Amino acid sequence: MLEGVRDAVRKFLRSSADYETSVNMFVKELQKTLIKSDVNVRLVLQLTRRIKERALKEKPPPGASRRDWFIKIVYEELANLFGGDVEPDVKPKKIPWVIMMVGVQGSGKTTTTGKLARFYKVRGYRVALVAADTYRPGAKDQLRQLAERVGVLFYTEPGDDAVGIAKRGVEWAKKKGAEIIIVDTAGRHRKEADLLKEMEDIAKEINPDEVMLVIDASIGQQAKPLAETFHKTTPIGSIVITKLDGTAKGGGALSAVAVTGAPIKFIGTGEKLDELEVFKPKKFVARILGLGDLEGLLERL
Amino acid sequence: VYKELDLKKLEPILEEYVLLLTEADVAYEVAEELIEKFKERLKGKKIRRGEDEKKIIEDALREAIYDLINIPGPDLVEEAKKAKAEGRILKIMFMGVNGVGKTTTIAKVAYMLKKAGITPVLAAADTFRAGAVEQLKQHAERIGVPIVTKPYGSDPAAVAYDAIEFAKARGFSVVLVDTAGRMHVDVDLMNELRKVARVIEPDYKILVLDALTGNDAVEQARFFDEAVGVDGVILTKVDADAKGGAVLSVAATIKKPILYLGIGQGYEDLIRFDPSWFVERLLGE
Ligand SMILES: Nc1nc2c(ncn2[C@@H]2O[C@H](COP(=O)(O)OP(=O)(O)OP(=O)(O)O)[C@@H](O)[C@H]2O)c(=O)[nH]1
Ligand SMILES: Nc1nc2c(ncn2[C@@H]2O[C@H](COP(=O)(O)OP(=O)(O)OP(=O)(O)O)[C@@H](O)[C@H]2O)c(=O)[nH]1
Ligand SMILES: [Mg+2]
Ligand SMILES: [Mg+2]
Repeated sequence: MLEGVRDAVRKFLRSSADYETSVNMFVKELQKTLIKSDVNVRLVLQLTRRIKERALKEKPPPGASRRDWFIKIVYEELANLFGGDVEPDVKPKKIPWVIMMVGVQGSGKTTTTGKLARFYKVRGYRVALVAADTYRPGAKDQLRQLAERVGVLFYTEPGDDAVGIAKRGVEWAKKKGAEIIIVDTAGRHRKEADLLKEMEDIAKEINPDEVMLVIDASIGQQAKPLAETFHKTTPIGSIVITKLDGTAKGGGALSAVAVTGAPIKFIGTGEKLDELEVFKPKKFVARILGLGDLEGLLERL
Repeated sequence: VYKELDLKKLEPILEEYVLLLTEADVAYEVAEELIEKFKERLKGKKIRRGEDEKKIIEDALREAIYDLINIPGPDLVEEAKKAKAEGRILKIMFMGVNGVGKTTTIAKVAYMLKKAGITPVLAAADTFRAGAVEQLKQHAERIGVPIVTKPYGSDPAAVAYDAIEFAKARGFSVVLVDTAGRMHVDVDLMNELRKVARVIEPDYKILVLDALTGNDAVEQARFFDEAVGVDGVILTKVDADAKGGAVLSVAATIKKPILYLGIGQGYEDLIRFDPSWFVERLLGE
């Protein structure tokens, strides 16, 4: 299955069938692969329609074969899906920089908060974490333990006033001279109106510089409506895909990019605190497509 | 007055069903195979002239899906009552990938049992994830059931074993074992899970699966079933408006029953799985 698009590319480049037939065959294979990678079905249909249109209309530049050119179109269209193939800028644009973590239950917000603390601490920043999940049992202990392990500032309060904890936590962290302040919040989904309201209220109080949406690589077609609702409630500034160390391809995150316009900044590749990487668009497309040697192919073009 | 279904003509409708199922998070390969097999079933089928072909097909598809997922599974309350009456200990182990809802589901099952008059013992055998022990402990306190814990880093099998010894000594008849979330492709961690199973010999090994999962449900089910063995599945977060196509992916892949659905974060939010309800949710508007 992983070999799907690789084979399709190979077949396409060598096929003796006429160009249009080859394009159609390729597009069909691409659709399957993308859907299997959990890219939103409607998004896939849109994308492949566009690829087909361009493939039949545009002329390759002099010297390039029509078929190589087609692969480039495919890559470009895919890269467009997540806002271009440039690597994200993860440097804070001002100090202090306040990040608010949001996402559905169990997506990996708290763990990623710990990982980010480590990421920025290693790069010389003074980091503070604020535990504002007053909902899930053990959530504050979880973040406290992570903060201790990384060795960064930590704030929480007993009780269930998430908005108040977030507000006072950010103020406290600023006073302590924190340069990066990360606020962890409870998991919630788009049918939990009270929790969405709470999220909105937290954002209003702390006025975050970046709302980070944490998406589980295994999420399926619900990724799109979920991201839409989150974006409407608190505009999403960046995206993290977690759990890419499993077999899930993470295509759900592309719907989140499509509906929020936010870039994917980091990926999680394990449970440990150092298992966080800055997002590499090319590597990710290659994974979604099941292609290992995308770079090589593109260099030829 | 009878005519044969024209499968050629119906092809686009059937292809549309593959997409519809996929949009409900049935894994693509499962949806494709289901419709392929379904076509075989339709071959040569005769219908009365003037009858609505689309409706006939849809009804037949409902039936096919129902047959696939209608796998009888145990009622854990009944099993617990039986164990109690027979003076044995019912041992249930929960497993699954990270963050699907194992710990919360255990709390819900504990609550359900407690309400039925049977107090289970919880085993905090996730000694890895930060806050995991505190999380289960808080649940145990709130529900009012005993819990057995060990420090972080302890052998999970030892925690599970201790919990069973504890239950034996104090006359409890159910032990619910929480395990750390793990990726199904992590060989070391899957071996660790096998060790827990070997040491305590659970009556039921339950795979917890997140209803928001897409195609990966197939992989998760397959790997856990091959490495440890799955006796039943609980699907969580169904309240997140997930259609829960994973039910179909699992039933088709490992042919194990779905026992319960998690429909919220409260203790009451656990219901028995009902195949007809699910078919309606999947295909009905
Ligand atoms: N394998 C793997 N596990 C991860 C990764 N990121 C997070 N996890 C695990 O996923 C599970 C859930 O992570 P949490 O950080 O508790 O998720 P959360 O979003 O804070 O959950 P709630 O607060 O309950 O909504 C934990 O077992 C984490 O260790 C990752 O990149 N890979
Ligand atoms: N909305 C909703 N949330 C749920 C449901 N079941 C669990 N959750 C939430 O999902 C998140 C993760 O649940 P946990 O029970 O910690 O998951 P876990 O599988 O034990 O996680 P790890 O031990 O870290 O692998 C928590 O925020 C739970 O409240 C459900 O049925 N509906
Ligand atoms: Mg959390
Ligand atoms: Mg757990």
